[in-house]
Amino acid sequence: MRRTRFGKLSTWILFAITFAFVLPSIAISASKKLTVDEAVILSHLPDQQIGKTYPQGEEINVGFLAALSGPDAGWGLPGVTGNSIWIEAVNKTGGLLVGGKRYPLKMHQFDDEANASKALQGARQLVLQHDVKFISAIGGDPANATAPFLTKHKVIYASLVPTDMQPARPYVVAGGDVTPQCNMFNPLMAKMVLPSEKELGRPLRYAITTQDDIMSRQVGAWEVGAAVSQGFDIVYEKFFSTDTTDFAPIVSALLATNPDVISLCEAWPEYQTLMWEQLYLQGFKGVVAQNYADWETNLTKIPPEYPAARSAIDSFPLMDDPWWGANSWQASFTRIWNKQYGPGAPDDVHRRMTGIDWDHVVWFIPWCIGAQVAGKDTPGEWPSNDAILAALRKMSSFPTILGPGHMSGKEMFGIQNMIEQPVPMNMFDLKANDKRIIAHMNFEPWFEAIKPVVLKEVKKRGQHWTQRK
Amino acid sequence: MSSQLLIQTIANAIMASSMYALIAIGLTLAFGVMQMANLAHGHFFMVSAYAVYALYALSGWPFWWAVVAAVAVGAILGVIVERTIFRPLQGDVVSGFIATMGLMFVFEVLVGEIWGWGLSRPIPSPYMGAVRFLGAAVSFQRVLLMPFALVSISGLLLFMKHFRLGRALRAVALDPEAASLQGININRMTALALGISGAYAGLAGGLMSPIYAVTPSLGGHLILPALIVVVVGGMGSIGGATLAAVIFGFIMTFVTTLVDGVTAVMVSVTVMAIVLVIKPQGLMGRVIA
Repeated sequence: MRRTRFGKLSTWILFAITFAFVLPSIAISASKKLTVDEAVILSHLPDQQIGKTYPQGEEINVGFLAALSGPDAGWGLPGVTGNSIWIEAVNKTGGLLVGGKRYPLKMHQFDDEANASKALQGARQLVLQHDVKFISAIGGDPANATAPFLTKHKVIYASLVPTDMQPARPYVVAGGDVTPQCNMFNPLMAKMVLPSEKELGRPLRYAITTQDDIMSRQVGAWEVGAAVSQGFDIVYEKFFSTDTTDFAPIVSALLATNPDVISLCEAWPEYQTLMWEQLYLQGFKGVVAQNYADWETNLTKIPPEYPAARSAIDSFPLMDDPWWGANSWQASFTRIWNKQYGPGAPDDVHRRMTGIDWDHVVWFIPWCIGAQVAGKDTPGEWPSNDAILAALRKMSSFPTILGPGHMSGKEMFGIQNMIEQPVPMNMFDLKANDKRIIAHMNFEPWFEAIKPVVLKEVKKRGQHWTQRK
Repeated sequence: MSSQLLIQTIANAIMASSMYALIAIGLTLAFGVMQMANLAHGHFFMVSAYAVYALYALSGWPFWWAVVAAVAVGAILGVIVERTIFRPLQGDVVSGFIATMGLMFVFEVLVGEIWGWGLSRPIPSPYMGAVRFLGAAVSFQRVLLMPFALVSISGLLLFMKHFRLGRALRAVALDPEAASLQGININRMTALALGISGAYAGLAGGLMSPIYAVTPSLGGHLILPALIVVVVGGMGSIGGATLAAVIFGFIMTFVTTLVDGVTAVMVSVTVMAIVLVIKPQGLMGRVIA
């Protein structure tokens, strides 16, 4: 009797142990298994050799040093998701295969609130405490503050702002989100939908406004240069304080110049929503262009017919845009994102995917590509960032999120640290109630044709790399 | 400046004045009664805006019920802050200043942790579209602010003049010691003042939540203009705060339109400095002997 009772008890204990430990382990193992979509996004790596076993290397630390709170966080915080998706996919295969070893990746975040002194504090913490080799960032004031320290420690700082690049900063890279190229295409795209100067009997008028920060002043100068090269008269070119809460007077001032095109340039996500609202309320009837439009938020303030009638132009495409195709890299990325961060997902961020979610991983992936290529020359060792950059520069083409890319930037920024990739241009589509890609633009040949005019305007505004310290 | 732009700018300025008045009125009342600045006043506004976000945008409440709830949230916050911060620090101006500054960060972090940092919370405009008058266009949402500002300011003045509690509040603002000798419970009056102040912040936050970008840092953007209006109007003077709100509404709007927003801030602060040099007690503040 006692033996039977003891036997039953043992069985239940064994069952409980199985339930408590083994089953979750199976579940965890299942979730660690690479999915088809993850395999697709890893296809950008030239030599990942999924499924093959290699010796384990040490953990490679990367940083995310950007505004994770405050008004500028719209450019930073969402990017954590994209980087995390990439890291998770890589780590599921055992790590990034470099020089015959698999190196797991780990990301460390620091909120610099777009503040220069906080950014420097963050850079020091990330490098000295966590030995990060690569940092995803927004750029601007923080780039200026961190450049000397990161140059000394040879850590790559991937900025969203190409104008942060200069010869004295060999480890500042950019071009991931095709700024300022996409801004420079705004006047060209606007011209395609406007009546011609001949029809109007006068030059077309271009008004530009954005918040007053280093990035916007730099990008704005390039955009104005492109507008002048396309024959526009610049009728308004002013910056508003980052403390602005009331955009009614700003839009009134813009409209008083009777522009054909209003560019919101680099306006932060919450500012562009309020400006769109005022443009609608005050009855602007021309074209509106900008770097980034957040239609999910904007359409809570204005009816969709309005941006459709304005031929609303911006440059951050949706990854689930039908343009890419249902079986594309972008579609796979979107599916992974929705599964992890979408409605009801484990890390639901209570919004849909924006352009910023992939904006930072755009440079992170090429860095990994460069590490794999450079690693062939340093078997068993993680290559230096100098070697990684050299490897990328030697490649005539490598895959990026937006298409085939290559290293460029010597002429515009004095150093070949920019990824040059196809520039997607969107227009608001009423049927989709959202933005849709209408063109993929090739920047370099077009820039070659307009370069003298553009550089003159950029230098007039003191924003050329030769004029900035 | 063309006539069209002039009319539009005047319309914008009137709306801006209403906004400043609604934000500053509660602050000046609290200032007058407690003789201490509540730097967290802008964050009462912010929390109330998030209350509307949670109830109206997320939970589908009717907008006006969400605003009523925002008023209640503001009032409750005011009473709690009075009991926990201002009452223990009564008379200690510097400590009160620092404590409410700390409270700003507490609110900001709490709201950020609950509703997230970064992107602003989209609050749909309950009334899309604009009122057009003589060529000027103003959103329905903003037009609503004017009658609310007028009614709430008039209501407060009426309350302070004709109601026993209102007269008691004025007595405490004028001379707390004498008021206490008259049998007025000072603690109860300061709680009432902060409750009303919070309610006004809640009303402003609720009504203006579809107009502003609602982020945890919204309160920080609003407290400076609110303080300028209160200081220039005369601390504790409701009439003075209203007058200052109109002056600064017009200055900010006209300078932003004619020059730019950065210059508008500089001009506002310069005007504040000039007024204080000429009249240190503010436009309608009283001289304390």
